[in-house]
Amino acid sequence: MGRLLLPALALAFLSGGPAQAADAPPNGPPGASSCTGCHAPMKVTDSVIPRIAGRKSADIVTAMREYRSDAWPSSVMGRIAKGFDDQQTEAIAAWFAVQPE
Amino acid sequence: MATRRTFLKLAGAAGLAAPSLASAQGAARVVVVGGGFGGATAARTLKQLDPKLGVTLVEPNPIYTACPFSNSVLANLREMSQQQFRYDGIKAAGVTVAETSATAIDALARTVTLADGTQLSWDRLVLSPGIDFDWGAIPGYDEAAAQKMPHAWKAGAQTVLLRQQLQDMRDGGLVVMSSPPNPFRCPPGPYERASLIAYWLSIWKPKSKLLLLDSKDAFSKQRLFQDGWAQLYPGTIEWVPLSKGGKVTSVDPATLTLTTEFGSHKADVANVIPPQKAGAIAAKARVADRTGWCPVEPVAFESTLQRGIHVLGDAAIMGAMPKSAFAANAQAKVCAAAIVELLAGRAPQQPLLINTCYSLLAADYGISIAGVYRPDKGLLADIPGAGGVSPLSAVGGLRGQEALYASSWFRTITAETFG
Ligand SMILES: Cc1cc2nc3c(=O)[nH]c(=O)nc-3n(C[C@H](O)[C@H](O)[C@H](O)COP(=O)(O)OP(=O)(O)OC[C@H]3O[C@@H](n4cnc5c(N)ncnc54)[C@H](O)[C@@H]3O)c2cc1C
Ligand code: HEC
Repeated sequence: MGRLLLPALALAFLSGGPAQAADAPPNGPPGASSCTGCHAPMKVTDSVIPRIAGRKSADIVTAMREYRSDAWPSSVMGRIAKGFDDQQTEAIAAWFAVQPE
Repeated sequence: MATRRTFLKLAGAAGLAAPSLASAQGAARVVVVGGGFGGATAARTLKQLDPKLGVTLVEPNPIYTACPFSNSVLANLREMSQQQFRYDGIKAAGVTVAETSATAIDALARTVTLADGTQLSWDRLVLSPGIDFDWGAIPGYDEAAAQKMPHAWKAGAQTVLLRQQLQDMRDGGLVVMSSPPNPFRCPPGPYERASLIAYWLSIWKPKSKLLLLDSKDAFSKQRLFQDGWAQLYPGTIEWVPLSKGGKVTSVDPATLTLTTEFGSHKADVANVIPPQKAGAIAAKARVADRTGWCPVEPVAFESTLQRGIHVLGDAAIMGAMPKSAFAANAQAKVCAAAIVELLAGRAPQQPLLINTCYSLLAADYGISIAGVYRPDKGLLADIPGAGGVSPLSAVGGLRGQEALYASSWFRTITAETFG
């Protein structure tokens, strides 16, 4: 059964389309659990860092690409986004997209 | 020797693939020693990822006092109470909290002995004991001397003592700090401290000066700090590098004197940050090597010396990743996920990790250093092209923005760690 599901999962990741929560490894794809040090899974009072849980995957991917190329100004995201390639970014974005907003 | 090492290596490698016996028989047990940024995060994440796991957190203090932002407490920008966190959130997450210390660890029998005599068995052990000081590395500097010349490098009573000494100092006094050799907890920390003490002096004791004696010739975010000092506190902070006689070779707590290879300095307030090593329990568990720190592999942070024991945070040698609260929290989440995989007999994924350390030079002046890391040749290595420090020339209120992001980060990381 697990085997039959695999191609569908791979597709969901490749297309950057909405992934099911169960698709991703328990604590997210590589890197995601470091993002939450600043972009918390829960609501944090008095934090001015934007929330990204539950945001559209495509929007997160766009932001990361723009930060990576320095097309968007940022304080820290430019330096962080440069550590992730397209595939890694898409996997992280798909995971955040299905986290509770 | 070589044979034993090879055996351990092989055993460790086998441990990565073989499901543990205990997990096949019933719920697996993980014991976490140390309830700081590494341990508390690991315990909570383990329970979150696999609610069936038995997770015990061993920590003697009912209240954790966080070091990040404790330099702001020295400068009266924050209350000590804002640094303190209880374990109620961790308990509510289903973690058993044992309010005592671990005193012995047997890696073969897979047990940990607690100060009250209890013995706990584990399938996987996580150690995040933070640092201990290398007392005796600076002749004259011992635990008694720290009551006269506080280190304030473990936040709490020491922070309050140093703050009190600063407040009692005469205007026109000399504050002398000493910064340790690498590696040590929070590489930008001594320089943030010098900045914030200078900030406080500039308001309350403007005739005073700060001498920063350093055991190194270079330090984290150096240009940014030095540019900031020149701009914000001209003439207040004098930094003395190793090559110019910065290394403190002995201290005399009775006269508050710090001696270097080049001469002696008499202080009105002395803050000695001594050389450091992994928390003492690491050596007892035989996971610390001759450097005093704990070598680990870069995927699940399992000790390369003892199978089944994972080491996180300041105590571990994490390759290019510095010793920070951000790093300890990030490593803990990766480690917890890897342990869940290992207990299920699966291989953990190759991780990517981020570190970011913010520093304040004044209440509204923040700078940062960031890095992204991946396993490479058995260590965590910097991903080339990523990371780095804040730009040297700040436009559009960037320093103020980073100061705000710094406090947002602290609220976020403590909420994630302690709930
Ligand atoms: C002045 C200062 C400023 C800092 N600023 C920052 C910052 O801005 N950003 C940042 O990211 N980092 C900062 N740091 C660094 C940060 O505090 C540490 O890197 C972080 O606390 C490491 O987490 P840890 O889990 O390894 O250790 P710790 O947080 O020290 O936790 C270790 C815990 O283990 C417990 N313990 C030890 N031995 C035992 C035992 N035998 N049994 C049971 N429990 C035990 C201790 O009681 C302690 O609670 C700063 C540090 C200092 C000193
Ligand atoms: C050190 C803290 C920190 C870390 C770690 C971090 N971010 Fe950010 N993020 C920020 C800040 C601050 C901003 C605002 C832009 C700026 O100044 O850099 C931001 C902005 C963003 C935005 C834009 C949100 C919006 O609404 O405009 C996205 C998307 C994002 N981050 C994704 C990520 C991802 C994905 C990761 C992990 C790979 C990550 N961030 C790690 C601090 C962080």
